[in-house]
Amino acid sequence: MSSQPSLAMSATHGASPAAGTPAIEALDLVRTYDTHLGVVRRKRIQVEAVRGVSFEVRPGELFGLLGPNGAGKTTTIKMLITLLLPTSGTARVMGHDVIRETTEVRRLIGYVFGGDRGLYDRVSALDNLRYFAELYGVEPSEQKHRIGALLEMVGLTGREGEKVEGYSRGMRQRLHIARGLLHDPEVVFLDEPSIGLDPVGARELRQTVRSLTDAGKTVLLTTHYMFEADALCDRIAVINDGKIVALGTGTDLKAAVANRTIIEIETFGVASEALDGLRADPDVVEVNVEERDQSQILLVQSEHGTRITQRLLTLLGDTRVGKVVAREPTLEDAYIHLIASTGGADGAAARASLEMGS
Amino acid sequence: MIPLPRSLRLVWFVTWFNVRMLLASEFFVLTTFITPLIFATLGFLLFHSGGETAGQTLLYVALGAGMMGVWSTTLFGCGGAIAWQRWEGTLELLVSAPSRYDYILAGQTFGAVVLGFYGIVATLAWGALLFGMPIQATFPLILPLSIAAAVVALGSLGMLIATSFVLYRHANALSNLLEYPIWLIAGLLVPVTTLPLWVQAIGWLLAPKWGMDAIREAAIGSSPPWLAIGMCLVLAVIYYVAARVMLRVVLDKARRDATLALR
Repeated sequence: MSSQPSLAMSATHGASPAAGTPAIEALDLVRTYDTHLGVVRRKRIQVEAVRGVSFEVRPGELFGLLGPNGAGKTTTIKMLITLLLPTSGTARVMGHDVIRETTEVRRLIGYVFGGDRGLYDRVSALDNLRYFAELYGVEPSEQKHRIGALLEMVGLTGREGEKVEGYSRGMRQRLHIARGLLHDPEVVFLDEPSIGLDPVGARELRQTVRSLTDAGKTVLLTTHYMFEADALCDRIAVINDGKIVALGTGTDLKAAVANRTIIEIETFGVASEALDGLRADPDVVEVNVEERDQSQILLVQSEHGTRITQRLLTLLGDTRVGKVVAREPTLEDAYIHLIASTGGADGAAARASLEMGS
Repeated sequence: MIPLPRSLRLVWFVTWFNVRMLLASEFFVLTTFITPLIFATLGFLLFHSGGETAGQTLLYVALGAGMMGVWSTTLFGCGGAIAWQRWEGTLELLVSAPSRYDYILAGQTFGAVVLGFYGIVATLAWGALLFGMPIQATFPLILPLSIAAAVVALGSLGMLIATSFVLYRHANALSNLLEYPIWLIAGLLVPVTTLPLWVQAIGWLLAPKWGMDAIREAAIGSSPPWLAIGMCLVLAVIYYVAARVMLRVVLDKARRDATLALR
């Protein structure tokens, strides 16, 4: 992708909020869904997807909403971009109410989501961009220049005449971003944009995301990839089971586990009884298991440094042990700790969701 | 050149884009381009076997068969386009765009209707080539006006029907339900005078009936079809206003029930 993106239009919306007004403000957002169980005897049930989410995003900030699958990230974002009505609570974007002032909000925001959907496959990328430029109210005199600049920015110049159905996932994702920026939005919502991308594609995407804040945009990024949030975001809110369980900078979040040491023990065929034995040790705070092809990596968190290592190995009994490594906790450990300690998903599930993206 | 007002430009652009999208669908092209010819062939053969071979009768059949195709295309094009957008994940993007969604929907609907009118041209050509049908019009200058009025009326009705597709992902059941009965009630297949009065009364509320009357009267009628053209325009306004009201309700409900992203 080009390293010199040209993001700003010659004339901007002039919609900056009053000084001190957050770019995004969510206050006690709640969203429940009605769904049904059974076929013959249908039983109506209510699912609480978001349960009182509050946060503020400052203008120009890159804010991350991090959580496992089903935590409520997309539901929160859809309320903020006016696609869903909150069951209760309020939210404002650049000072405009997302429930009542939908047109104003829609003029100011761009929305990009990950995955294969959201584009017209049977026409070219250029046709897609022209179409959405029209829908987003980009002035005809501005369209050609704007589309050209965005194609350059996302590295699709020269490929714009090809049908989208022939695009790779990475190219589609970059086209999504170009589409979401056509009308030069003040606030950009990126909903898991790197999902399914290969490592190179994901890295290029992160560069593009970073360039958005360099151009003065406010960005709300949802992801379940810890390293992505860590690399990009000024602040991160961790959401789990519909609630924000932590909010702060990466350093703030890491502080929750800063006094811990992570002892990684490679085992081959560890029994659940042995794991129970580790968990029962009074000096062990948390044990998570990472499954590898032939082995398991036990991630033992303790506040007693490496002093307990020998005891841990004794507790494992006859289990065949490979490498043993002690290290400082990372943000990933902090995230897993937060998710595991707030219910909804255990550490293993949280780690699994992270690994899917690494 | 004077630039088009923003709203008209948007409707025109969406219409054009939707025509291109529909033409990119082999299934749509096949049904839109072939079905009216099959209807016309069946009609010509039926009338031939009944000894009805007068030029005006054949024109009556050809126009009716063409209009049946127009109606099918309208239903499929309006509903199918939205169902398709659901599938492709673009419906949410259209609804959340800053442009008014009724303009977008109008463009999509007119794209389908305009394509559908190919059916009338095709059946006329088919009749002339294969069945010796004369191509003539009693009021040739009024005929284009009749066609335009029918396009506008059918487009507005299509838009009203399409609002249900925004809300319900299985609304195509409705479009299937509406296809054949409207052919009958609107007099596309057989004269409405053969139907009970109460059925005819339902037809008076339907754009295809007046659109068909406007075109047939201009082509083979004895007096100019001003009433039919006027009714097309009146109904178009009523449908459009109803569609806008419905759309507001439907979009509000879709935001409440979270149905826009469902496939």
